[in-house]
Amino acid sequence: MLWVDKYRPKTLAQVIVHEDIAQNLTKLVTEQDCPHLLFYGSSGSGKKTLIMALLRQIFGPSAEKVKVENRNWKIDAGSRTIDLELTTLASTNHVELSPSDVGFQDRYIVQEIIKEMAKNRPIDTKGKKGFKVLVLNEVDKLSREAQHSLRRTMEKYSASCRLILCCNSSSKVTEAIRSRCLNIRINAPSAEQIVKVLEFIGKKEGLQLPSGFAARIAEKSNRNLRRAILSFETCRVQQYPFTSNQAIPPMDWEEYISEIATDIMKEQSPKRFLPSALKYLIVLLVRGKVYELLINCIPPEIVLKRLLHELLKKLDAELKHEVCHWAAYYEHRMRLGQKAIFHIEAFVAKFMSIYKAFLIATFG
Amino acid sequence: MGKRNTITISSSDDEDYEPSSRLTRSYQKPKSTSSLTRTNPNRAKKPRLPGSRLTKQSSNVDEMRLAFRDFDEVLNGFKVSAGSRRSNPKELWVDKHKPSSLEELAVNKKKVRVNMVEEVKSWFEERLMTPKDEVGRSSVLILSGQAGVGKSATVHVIASKIGAQLCEWNTPTPTIWQEHVHNSSAGMNYTSKLDEFENFVERVRKYGLISSSLNGNSKSSIILVIDDLPVTNGRSAFERLQRCLVLLVRSTRVPTAILVTDYGNADSSDLTARWLEELQLTLESAGASKVMLTRKLLLISCWKLQVAFNPITNNSIKKTLSRICRQELCNVAAEEIDLIARASGGDIRHAITSLQLFCLKPNVELDLSLSNSTPSCPKENANVLNEFSGGISSQYGRDETLTLFHALGKFLHNKRDTENVVALDQNAFRVGEKFSRLPFKMDSPEKILCQAHGQSRPITDFLHENVLDFVSDEAMDDAWAVASYLGDADLLLATSRRTLNRHSEIENVLQSAAASVAVRGVLYGNFHPSPSRWHAIRKPKLWQIEQSSSHNQNEMLRQRFMEDGGSSSFSEVSVIATEYRPVLKWVGYRKAGDVETHESEDESVKRMSIDEEESKISDDDDIEDW
Repeated sequence: MLWVDKYRPKTLAQVIVHEDIAQNLTKLVTEQDCPHLLFYGSSGSGKKTLIMALLRQIFGPSAEKVKVENRNWKIDAGSRTIDLELTTLASTNHVELSPSDVGFQDRYIVQEIIKEMAKNRPIDTKGKKGFKVLVLNEVDKLSREAQHSLRRTMEKYSASCRLILCCNSSSKVTEAIRSRCLNIRINAPSAEQIVKVLEFIGKKEGLQLPSGFAARIAEKSNRNLRRAILSFETCRVQQYPFTSNQAIPPMDWEEYISEIATDIMKEQSPKRFLPSALKYLIVLLVRGKVYELLINCIPPEIVLKRLLHELLKKLDAELKHEVCHWAAYYEHRMRLGQKAIFHIEAFVAKFMSIYKAFLIATFG
Repeated sequence: MGKRNTITISSSDDEDYEPSSRLTRSYQKPKSTSSLTRTNPNRAKKPRLPGSRLTKQSSNVDEMRLAFRDFDEVLNGFKVSAGSRRSNPKELWVDKHKPSSLEELAVNKKKVRVNMVEEVKSWFEERLMTPKDEVGRSSVLILSGQAGVGKSATVHVIASKIGAQLCEWNTPTPTIWQEHVHNSSAGMNYTSKLDEFENFVERVRKYGLISSSLNGNSKSSIILVIDDLPVTNGRSAFERLQRCLVLLVRSTRVPTAILVTDYGNADSSDLTARWLEELQLTLESAGASKVMLTRKLLLISCWKLQVAFNPITNNSIKKTLSRICRQELCNVAAEEIDLIARASGGDIRHAITSLQLFCLKPNVELDLSLSNSTPSCPKENANVLNEFSGGISSQYGRDETLTLFHALGKFLHNKRDTENVVALDQNAFRVGEKFSRLPFKMDSPEKILCQAHGQSRPITDFLHENVLDFVSDEAMDDAWAVASYLGDADLLLATSRRTLNRHSEIENVLQSAAASVAVRGVLYGNFHPSPSRWHAIRKPKLWQIEQSSSHNQNEMLRQRFMEDGGSSSFSEVSVIATEYRPVLKWVGYRKAGDVETHESEDESVKRMSIDEEESKISDDDDIEDW
C-alpha cells in the first residue's frame, strides 16, 4: 500500500494538518446531523481525507465498508430514454460518485440518484428515520444545468439526505448551491505542515531524514500534500539512506511536456528552419506527443498549463504577456469545446507564429 | 382457359383494402383475366401494385396481342398491346419506348455490350433447353448495375426474344400504420414483407413454379425474376434474407434472375449498400452466376458468367433520345438532347423522363434560345457541364452525390482560379488585400457538403487530421488560422451537443454552421497551399485516442480502488493520472503484468493506427485527380 493511503488519517481525531477544521467538524456532527457541506480547496489539501473521516465520525466504522458498483441508469427524458453508466461507491449510509464523468448528461444522474436515495431511507437504531449522505466529487465540473437541478433536488429532499460536495474551486459552483451549503475551505497545507507530516511518516517508517530534505520535497510539491508524500516515497525507493541534496524525480508526464516545449523552441531558430518544420512540429511532434498524454488520461487543461509554464521559462520577457494571453484564450475555448487537441494545436501554432515573427524581427 | 395467359397469385391479403385492387377485381369477375395490372410484359414494375404479386405472363408481345384482341376496346386505357403502344399519349415515355428487341436495347452498342446481352440470352436459353438436374450447375443469375442501366429491360427483352414467360417477384407496397390498425381491427394479421418473401421462395423451391401447371401450356418456359429485394432493417433481418436467398440459389430449378441495384457511387458508409454487396458475394459463393452492369468488364467461363455493362454512354443515350423524338414528332435541338444525355449520368430511364418533361413545355423555342445564350461552345464541354450543375438547366440534372473522400479532397486541395476574374462593382463590399482570396474553382463549400451528405463532426475531424499536410511548410500563420477555425467549429459542435434533445432545429442549424465554418476556415486559412502532390487522407487518429483514453480511465479507476485496499473513496482521474501513476511506476508497486497490459495497449493502438493509415492509402487513390 502506498504511504499516501497507509498514513491517511481515518478519524477526525487523527488529523494532523487541519486540526482546527477537524475539531469544528466533530462538534458539528455530535447531534448526528449536519447541514449540507461544500468542501473546496486546491488539489492535495486533504478534502477527501476530511470527508471520509467525517463520515466515519457520523456513521462509525460501517462507513468504511464500501463496495464499488457499476450502475446503469435508464432515464426517461421525454422523447427517448438515455442509458447512462457510472461507477459509484456505496456503503449502507452513503453513496459517492463523480457525476461529471458522464459529461453533459450529468444532470440526470444527480436528480435520479437523489430521488432514489430519498425513496429508501435507512432507519437508525433509535427508530427514527435517518438520512443518507451523498458525496459528489468534482462539483465544479458539473454543467450549469446539473447544478440547477441539483439545487432543486437539494431543497426537495433535504429531509432525507445530506449532500457533501467536493471541488477545487468554489467559483465554478453556482451561488445558489453555495448558499445552501456550509462552505468549508481547506487551505493548501503550508510548507511547515507538509514537513511535519513527512517527518511523522519518516518516524513511523523508521527512516533517517537528513535536515532540509523534507523541506525540499515540500517546496517541490507546490503545497500539495499528496504529491509531497508520493515523491517522498519515490525518493525512498530510489535511494536510501537519503542525502540532503538528493534529486527529487519529477513526474514523467511533466518531463514529456518539457520535451515538447524544448522541441518547439529549438526548431524555430531562424537559421535552420527545416523545410518540413511545420509538419514535423505540429503533426508529428506536438500532436503525437499530446495524443500520448491524452491516452494516459492527463487532463488537457493541465497539459496546456504545463506547456505554457515550460515555454515561459525559456521565453524572452517581451513575449511573455502575449503568449499568456493566447494560452488563456485557448484554455477557455478548450473548456467550451469538445476536442481539446484542436485548441492545444491552435495554441502551439499561434505560439510558433509569434515566436517566429519575434526571431525574425530580432535577428533579421 | 387457353386465353388465360396471365395469372395473378397474391400472397397476401392486402388487396382487400387497396383501392386500386378493387378495380382489378371488378375486372376479374366478368372475365377470367386478372392480368390488368400487368399488361405490358416489358414494363417495369408498377409501384401501385397492391400486395405481393406473383404475375406470370406471356412475354411474347404478338402472342399477347392475339390473346387480348377481344378486350382491346374494353381495356384500351389499361392494356397496351404492341400495336397500340406507340400511340397512347398518356403513358410515360419510359414505359412507352421500352426496348422490344435486342437491337433496340439502348445499352451500349459496342460489341462488348451486345456480346454481353447475347451472353445473358444464351445463358437463359441454355438453362431452359437442357435438363435441369445437372449437378453443380446453378440456375441463378445476378444482374447488378447502377440504377437505370437497363437491368430489368434486359431481362424482359431477352425473355420476349426467346419466348419465355416471366414470373416476377416485386416487393409489395409497404403497409402503413393506419392500414395496419385498420387491418388488425378487422382481425387480420400482419405479415412482414420479408416473411412474404420467404414464403414465396419456399414455395418456389418446393413446388417449382406452380403456375406452369395452371398454364396448360407445358412447353413454354419460365424465367423467375426477382426484382427489388425486400428492404431489410437490421442485421438479423438481413441475415434471414441472405439465408433465404442462398437456399433459393442452391435449390431452385427454374432459371432465376436476381436484379440488384448497385450503389457504387453513393456513400460507402451506407449500410444498405454494404449489405447488398455482401449479399451478392454470398450468393456468388453459393453458385449464382453474376452479371455486373458496372464499369469493368470481366468475362469468365460459362458457368460463372460475370459481365459488366459500362454505364450507358452519352452517345447511345443521345441516339435513343433522338429516336424517341422522331417517333414523338418533337422538335428538340441537338444541344438539348446532348445536355439531357449528359446530365443523366448514364441513367437512361432518367434521361427519357427528362426528355418528356422538356417536351411538355409549351415554349420549347424560347427555352432553347435561352439555353443557347449560355456559352455552349462544343469545345468547352466541361464548362457547359459545370454550368449545368451550377443550376442553370438543372431541371434535368440529377443531384450528384459525392463521396466523403471526394469532398475532402476538394476542400483540402483548395483549387482556386489563378486570377480574380470577377470584376468588383463599385458598391461591393471590399475586403483588405490581406483577407481577400481568389475565387474557388468549385461549387460553394456548402453545396459540396450537402452533396457529400457529410456529418459535421466527422468532417471536422478529418479536416483536422489532414489539413496540415496541405499547408505550405513556411506558412506558420496559415497553420494557426486553420487550427483556430477548426477550434471554432469544435466550439459550435460542442454547443450543439449540449442542447441536443431540446431543439433539433437549432441543432441542425448549428451543425451545418459548424461544418461550414470548418470547411471555409480551412479553405480561407490555407492561403499558401503546398504544391499539389499526392496525399493519402488519413482517418482521424483522434477517434482511436478518445476510445483508448476512456478505456484507460476506467482501468485506472478500477486499479486505484484495488490498490488502496478498498478503504477510501474515489480519486479523481486526473489526480491518478498525474500523481499516482508516475509514482507507481517509480515505486514499482504495480504488478509487472499490469504495466505490460497498459503498455501493450498503447502500442497496439499505435500499430493499429499505422495499419489503418496504410490501408487508407488504397482507399484514396482517386483523391489525386483533384
